[in-house]
Amino acid sequence: MSNENNPLIALSDAMVAAVEKAGAATLMVNARRRMPASGVAYAPDLILTADHVLERDEDIRVGLPDGSQVPATLAGRDPGSDLALLRLESALAAQAEPIPQPARIGQLVLALGRPSPQGIQASLGVVSAINGPLRTGRGSLLEQYLRTDAIPYPGFSGGPLVDAAGRVAGINTSGLARGASLAIPAGLAWSLAGILVQHGHIQRGFLGVRSQPVAIPAAQQQALGREQASGLLLVGVETDSPAEAGGLLIGDIIVAIAGNRVTDPDELAASLTGSVVGKPTPVEVVRGGKPATITVTIGERK
Amino acid sequence: MSERFLSAMLDDSMAEVARRVQRSLVVVHNGRRGAGAGVVWRAGGYIITNYHVIAHGKPAVSIQDGSEYPARVVAQAPDLDLALLQIDSPQHPAALLADSRGMQVGQIVFAIGHPWGQRGYVTAGVISSLDTVQTRNGHGAVPIIRSDVLLAPGNSGGPLVNAAGGVLGINTMIVGGDQGVAIPSHVVESFVNQSIEERGGARN
Repeated sequence: MSNENNPLIALSDAMVAAVEKAGAATLMVNARRRMPASGVAYAPDLILTADHVLERDEDIRVGLPDGSQVPATLAGRDPGSDLALLRLESALAAQAEPIPQPARIGQLVLALGRPSPQGIQASLGVVSAINGPLRTGRGSLLEQYLRTDAIPYPGFSGGPLVDAAGRVAGINTSGLARGASLAIPAGLAWSLAGILVQHGHIQRGFLGVRSQPVAIPAAQQQALGREQASGLLLVGVETDSPAEAGGLLIGDIIVAIAGNRVTDPDELAASLTGSVVGKPTPVEVVRGGKPATITVTIGERK
Repeated sequence: MSERFLSAMLDDSMAEVARRVQRSLVVVHNGRRGAGAGVVWRAGGYIITNYHVIAHGKPAVSIQDGSEYPARVVAQAPDLDLALLQIDSPQHPAALLADSRGMQVGQIVFAIGHPWGQRGYVTAGVISSLDTVQTRNGHGAVPIIRSDVLLAPGNSGGPLVNAAGGVLGINTMIVGGDQGVAIPSHVVESFVNQSIEERGGARN
């Protein structure tokens, strides 16, 4: 078989090109005592990395592909999703391209890292599983995460998991699940990074309720205009809580918050993250068998 | 290109790589327990293996048809973990060599050897990084290939090949860690050239 028609050689060349493209946007992040970790250029002056690799707030240095090192400052961090954003003094990095569609199980991927000035490092694998949500503590919830069999070498945390075209499918981290390496999907990481640029942290809201999932009868689904088999029955409302102030009552069944359906506690946590925090927000409930919309100002969890 | 067609062509290419490499792959015994791998590097019966495979004992080589030859140690370089052997089977085909100076991170590679005694076992991965190690004698800083292919005892001395079946390096135990390490073929080639010239032998 000639080299031109050999798909194995073509695949090998594609992998090299993917490493070159994504490697240009993969940087060294030096903010801890032991070996440096990696980061991905979210913008030419903003570097997305894993929060747990930042052991100090000052004297953070970022290593560029040409081997030079520049100072960086902390632009925002979110321990709940183990993401942090660093700011460079000027636009020095080649911006990474996230994948347009979510990753799929079985897709070929490369894990990249730049934990040393010697050059880019890579390992090959596939997307093994797409799981979630993952409770990461302090009311935080990672909606979704990727697993891969690509070897996570030391210092790969904060670096990208890329597809065969060199587009970022996720941000690798070993800091979320004890002993296991996983990747935060690019779509989620990019949207969290957008919030970090604006606010410096991810706002996580709370209502002040205790709840449990319950079935919604077909007749009530029809009345709601929603095909939703379950909602969250309120079994407790805390005194002086946002829920009490807004008028939520024990016995209400929450079905949606700000238009996003809520069928279990994980979806409740997800719906209370981000822009709704601190704002009057419509909470759709079933009260006494009838649909009602209650406006609640979502509190911020400190 | 339909996906079925592509996967069938990929399978064919991989089978071709394995076939090409296995022709010049040998088993290196040292008269004791355990065995390593080796590659027919050059016509004239010249075989490359790891130094540690033949360091203690009298080496012998089995070729693919199972026949066994006693082997002479032509040269050895413990700091590179390389040894050049010669067997009296000049017709045995030499491996296709790839120039490792052009290798790049991300390239697909295959390791072929005899891990845990399983003959001609193939594992796949990519080149993970290009690095150098400091050797103690003579050879100074030597480039090495790190890859994510699975290696085990019995891969020692065997080839790391590229997607065209060309030998990019020789798998070795020169440094520890969880990554497979290979000595690039251009380093092996200069060791072979030097060894044969020092013996006053003709290059053939």
